[in-house]
Amino acid sequence: MKRYIARRLMQGAILLCMVATIVFFLGRLTGNPVDLMLPEDATPEDRTALIQTLGLDGPILDQFAIFVGKAVHGDLGMSIRMKQPAVEAFFDRLPNTLVLIPWAILLGMMLGIPLGVVAALNRGGMLDRAAGTVAVLGVAMPSFWLGVLLIFVFSVELGWLPSGRMGGPSHYVLPVITLGTFLVAGFMRITRSAMLEVMESEFVKLARIKGLSEAVVIWKHCLRNALIPVLTLWGVFVGNLITGAIVTETVFAWPGIGRLTYEAVIYRDFPLLQAVIILKSILILSINLGVDILYAYVDPRIRLA
Amino acid sequence: MLRHIVTTAALAVALVAAAMAPAQAQDQKGTLVFAVESLGAQTLDPILEGRPGNAVYQAAMYDSLVGFDFAKGGVGPGVAERWELSPDGLAWTFYLRPGQTFHNGDKLTAHDVKFSLERQMGPGSLAAAAATMRRTIKNIEVVDDLTVKVRTTSPQIGLPAGLSRAVAPEGAIMPKTYIEKVGEEEFRKKPIGSGPWKFVRNVPGDRIEFTAVTTPHWRGRPHFKDLHFLLVPEESTRVAMVRTGEAGIASIGPETMLGASRAGLEVLSVPGTMQAIFQFYGTWRPEVKDSPVAKVRVRQALSLAIDRKQVIEHVMNGKARMPHPFATFGYTDFFSAERWKKWADEAYRYDPVLAKKILAEEGYPNGFELKFANTALPGTQFMIDIGTAIADMWTKIGVKVTLKHYEWGSFPPLERGDQAQLIGWASMYRTAGRPDAPWRYNGGFSPESTQRLFGDKDNCNETCQEFVKTYRALGSELDRTKRTVLTDKMVELVSNSWIVVPILEGMGYYAINTKKVGQFAPIAGRHELGDVFERIPRPEQKPWKK
Repeated sequence: MKRYIARRLMQGAILLCMVATIVFFLGRLTGNPVDLMLPEDATPEDRTALIQTLGLDGPILDQFAIFVGKAVHGDLGMSIRMKQPAVEAFFDRLPNTLVLIPWAILLGMMLGIPLGVVAALNRGGMLDRAAGTVAVLGVAMPSFWLGVLLIFVFSVELGWLPSGRMGGPSHYVLPVITLGTFLVAGFMRITRSAMLEVMESEFVKLARIKGLSEAVVIWKHCLRNALIPVLTLWGVFVGNLITGAIVTETVFAWPGIGRLTYEAVIYRDFPLLQAVIILKSILILSINLGVDILYAYVDPRIRLA
Repeated sequence: MLRHIVTTAALAVALVAAAMAPAQAQDQKGTLVFAVESLGAQTLDPILEGRPGNAVYQAAMYDSLVGFDFAKGGVGPGVAERWELSPDGLAWTFYLRPGQTFHNGDKLTAHDVKFSLERQMGPGSLAAAAATMRRTIKNIEVVDDLTVKVRTTSPQIGLPAGLSRAVAPEGAIMPKTYIEKVGEEEFRKKPIGSGPWKFVRNVPGDRIEFTAVTTPHWRGRPHFKDLHFLLVPEESTRVAMVRTGEAGIASIGPETMLGASRAGLEVLSVPGTMQAIFQFYGTWRPEVKDSPVAKVRVRQALSLAIDRKQVIEHVMNGKARMPHPFATFGYTDFFSAERWKKWADEAYRYDPVLAKKILAEEGYPNGFELKFANTALPGTQFMIDIGTAIADMWTKIGVKVTLKHYEWGSFPPLERGDQAQLIGWASMYRTAGRPDAPWRYNGGFSPESTQRLFGDKDNCNETCQEFVKTYRALGSELDRTKRTVLTDKMVELVSNSWIVVPILEGMGYYAINTKKVGQFAPIAGRHELGDVFERIPRPEQKPWKK
């Protein structure tokens, strides 16, 4: 088990180095923040001075060397736009994103798993097709469109819920539904296929032969075993929510790390963009590692392999 | 007896003051909520913020050395009520309004002005004009508490405009004593200004909150008690927030105006905030001398082929105007606006027949190939639609347009250096609504500028040299009439070159919930409402006319 964890950690470190290198050079291909900070009639003299003030005047390889040198000491630079350490800006906003994630996951599991079970029990039937439609809609509906639609219906027309921003419990409803809808579809599909596979297993047949009630067979024996792949998916979904909340947070004016990423891109705030991507990568790698360890613990075949 | 009278009088004054104070406080009610697409750097330190952020939210709490002409737009009195240039043109003297105070009660004096300008020029400043200020300002002298003299290295006629929020953010006045006492870091956390709104809270990525001063202020005493700026990047969400009353005002684009209006919101237009233009690069270079775009009449023909009224009607939903010449507006300083408006209405007419005739006379009866870079500066996404529309209009006179779209971040590098990718091309561009035309002209046409549209230092033809001469003369001309003549001459040089051609004069647009906000007028040419909030009434004070 220790060797397994060490191997995964090593892989994660290599991946992180690759991410940091790519984001450093790709970010600079998109333009210069100075062009967004200066008016269109700025003199070349003012432009040069601002580039120097921001420390963007050296050769790109020198800048990369400085970045790597500082990064290994945990310093990912100062945000050009906010004049705040980029790491600090990330952790200031992270809790705002993290408070949405459990609710979105909960919504996804509470609706997706029962729907998946019902679909598997009615394979090919009306309920299966209805659940399939839910899954397709959930995956196909862009969160941008869904978010705007929810705002229009529940805020503007019905006046039940606020249309955006962080606030009391009512402010969470629409962003959570927007984030959770995609998860409902995902959980439903994976639960359905896992249930179908488990329901064909020998131990299920044995349970039925032993005379256990159908409810116990399905909800206790089948579902418990079918939830193993769902566990893996849970890790993937948390990662997706951390990286993919950009659109939802932008639509709902939610000041989380999704919005921070959007702002870093829009303003060409290289240090902030680098920090956000690297820290998100670390978060996702950690979550995936945690899930893998848990998975290996739950299913010994994984660690033996 | 005398003692008794004095005591009674003092008591009476105290009673009146006590009675007045709650009345004043009661007079300021409610919260004015403004939803905006960007809060820029979202910092309350003026040396770390650019023009848009300064004009949107910093303007609420900071006054500027030179202010606005609220009625006409353009430069007007600010912290300084007047200013004058020395006979040799090398020193500006600013006379401050008496009785101004910062929010902590400290008096605003000439020392604060000197400190603020020096801070803007300092090494840690991100001010756009920091380098120019360092080069042009020789020293700043405090003459007395209400007088400050700025000596320059050469005549700087445009200095007051450069220190006016009508043009740039560098004139923001900061509290010297407070910053020196608490340090820069603490000042950034608990900023203090002298404007009509006091800082309360800054929540990064979410909001900035201010509260109104309760004492009279030369910019106007706020009618609302609090002012909140909400950062809402998505336009449809901003409009929804105004519809639900979560926000009173939201910035919108021209494409949203009709929808907002149909939804029962008031749509406010701010005139003269920008000019959408198209321009040609490197037309003076020897390698493009045989290119059609090197010919003045061909460029003029391309302008004649544009139906500006159609663009205004269909792309801008009717909320734009026929333009003045390049970078000029009705409020431009030292400029014969009326005369040039007449000229522009005639010159920028739609005449495709004449356009085709000119092309034929110039040797292009079947048109020619034109490469056109379509791009939009931040906040003006509708320029892409304008660019697409005019490319289509050029096609109708036989010009085969190769349209290439550039995201703004990738466009400025093409303009710099040898401009290799843009030579012989046309592109969309924009100029912001500012009263000081010469500065913008210099940015586009000086041989030392980035764009150098007339020529560079080694290839400065007759027009280019004439431009340089005129601009230099403007820089030291103290006589207002002569200055107007020179500005007009500069405008004429550029207009007749047809290298930069205005398409339309754009506006700023806002959706307003009339149940939350009373009727108000914006400042012409000022897209942002930072200097307007204190004059916005509550709906019961001044309802919107149906």
